[in-house]
Amino acid sequence: MSDGSAAPAIELVDVMKRYGEAVALDGLSLQIQAGEFFCLLGPSGCGKTTTLNLIGGFVPLTSGELRIEGRRVNDLPPHKRNVNTVFQNYALFPHMTVAENVAFGLRMEGLPASDIGRRVDEYLELVDLAGFHDRYPGQLSGGQAQRVALARALAKRPAVLLLDEPLGALDLKLRKQMQVELSRIHRQVGTTFVFVTHDQEEALSMATRIAVMAGGRIRQIGSPREIYQRPVDRFVADFIGESNFLGGELRNDGPGPIFRLREGTELPVVPGFGSTRTTGPATLMVRPESVAVGPIAPTGPAPMAVIAGRAANVAFMGNHTRITVKTDAGVLVSIRFHESGKGAAEEEMVDREVHVWWDPRESTIVAAGDEPDVGEETGGG
Amino acid sequence: MASGVDALETMPVSHDARAVRWALRLWFGALMIFLYLPIAFMVVFSFDEGATPGLPITGFTLHWYDVLLDNRSLLRAVGNSITVATAVAILATVIGTMAAFVLVRGGIRWPNATRIAFTLPIMVPGVLIGVSLLIYFARAADLPLSLGTVIAGQLVFTVPFVVLIVASRLQSFDRQVEWAAADLGASPRQAIRHIVLPLISPAILAGALISVTLSIDEFVITWFTIGAQPTLPTYIYTRIKFGVTPEVNAVATIMLVATLLIFTIASVVLGRARRRPDRRPAEADA
Repeated sequence: MSDGSAAPAIELVDVMKRYGEAVALDGLSLQIQAGEFFCLLGPSGCGKTTTLNLIGGFVPLTSGELRIEGRRVNDLPPHKRNVNTVFQNYALFPHMTVAENVAFGLRMEGLPASDIGRRVDEYLELVDLAGFHDRYPGQLSGGQAQRVALARALAKRPAVLLLDEPLGALDLKLRKQMQVELSRIHRQVGTTFVFVTHDQEEALSMATRIAVMAGGRIRQIGSPREIYQRPVDRFVADFIGESNFLGGELRNDGPGPIFRLREGTELPVVPGFGSTRTTGPATLMVRPESVAVGPIAPTGPAPMAVIAGRAANVAFMGNHTRITVKTDAGVLVSIRFHESGKGAAEEEMVDREVHVWWDPRESTIVAAGDEPDVGEETGGG
Repeated sequence: MASGVDALETMPVSHDARAVRWALRLWFGALMIFLYLPIAFMVVFSFDEGATPGLPITGFTLHWYDVLLDNRSLLRAVGNSITVATAVAILATVIGTMAAFVLVRGGIRWPNATRIAFTLPIMVPGVLIGVSLLIYFARAADLPLSLGTVIAGQLVFTVPFVVLIVASRLQSFDRQVEWAAADLGASPRQAIRHIVLPLISPAILAGALISVTLSIDEFVITWFTIGAQPTLPTYIYTRIKFGVTPEVNAVATIMLVATLLIFTIASVVLGRARRRPDRRPAEADA
């Protein structure tokens, strides 16, 4: 749908939004390129829904500038914006059939009836609801209603499709199915999608780019991989996935940076993975699946980060095993995914002296400053 | 009473349960007789051959309905009633619906107090409204009493009903549906026309029908505000002073049937609107 213009699909410049005294958005700047599947991710009250409503035109900005396809739209009412929304509870018109729901926006545009009919067919086909024309919303399942909402918004061929917690009202199984569906539809229509969610898994699985938000600000923008593997701060690391945090001190007086735990163990870190230039108190993060556990740490050409400890608990979780290790530096969690054909005997490790180790390339400095609450920290989950 | 009562309900909890249940049923029967026997008599008498209605019933006839159709002044009264009821229904619906929008969406400062102020006339005794209207029309507004003053008088207590019904529907209205309409390119005016009005139309229609039934048999306020032209209830009242004729029974029976019919339609319309699945609840919010 892009006509080759260089302007981003959505651009927010230093946007502020206040509700009375409360600051919902605190100087937000953001560019979303045409064709992206962009996710605004964050906990309740982080400002993600406000951002979406701002773009949709349902709430006015306090200050700053909002551009859609390069055009300033600060004061444009919703019905004049070239964006469409899939609402959290779909907001289908209960007195209209599925076909009438999808046709509504086109009727408002004043399209000729024959074009409307063709478009309705096309988009119901797209969402896999061909033949549902004459049903009423009350006769649809949650997943079907969701698809109608999607078809209704997409039929307008908007520059940007906004999705507000699109899968929030669906059960787990349906949600996974719709994640795949949404990705497919995005690839098929090529429209810019902007969606809001508090579910990190949803964000990771569908988005091409994620903005992690907190307190009305963006903490980090990046691809799902970047966000997961290289969180810029402890909040992001904690919010996305599960993390081990270790408190200590970053030193840079040897050949490379070294992370020194309080009890004295020294762990190698990779320069540039997190803020490795400022030495002093810091927090190191490593994901549980990057942590290995065994009686003896392997010795190889590349130096490993190794900590000695005692296996406190081993829990079989079906497709993986979760090992909790107590060390002098705190509790570390390791997750080992089961390989087919290999029967592991991790259970035998309980209460034994063990070592945990990881490749330094898997760890990141997430915060300057020694944070005392080191131990088992679980993120979003 | 009902078939398909399940086992738990029929299981006696005490030895007297059976007796108590029969006593309750008897009591229920007595109540129904108390409520409806006079009306039943009226209906039966309207088909009685005797010129002075009463027991014993001498024979079945449609004669009184025939007489009724020849009674010019009675038919005029019926016509007046219909005129008044129609005008009241239309005006009450328009005024009441607009008031309901103000009440629910006007952002007024004391919504609960305003709601009470809007609906208080339902509770105020009719005599009081009647007297005050009479004084107002005669002394303050200097309006000659006519069907027009009757219509105005009846609006005082029919508008609150419409306000109540439409406001409760508006209150439960999912605003996100309106957002969706705006999002899809509908101007505020189009959203009201294509989305809001169709969705609250059952409530508006029910309000109109209830106004009709209230208007048709309204007597007290009408009596105070009426001019030379009688409505059906005031006509019946003046006639009855000269002795009850079977004709009046026949008119009353027709009125009864008409009122019940309209009331049934109103209930069905409202009930259907309530049963319409208005979409699932929100589980997660942002």
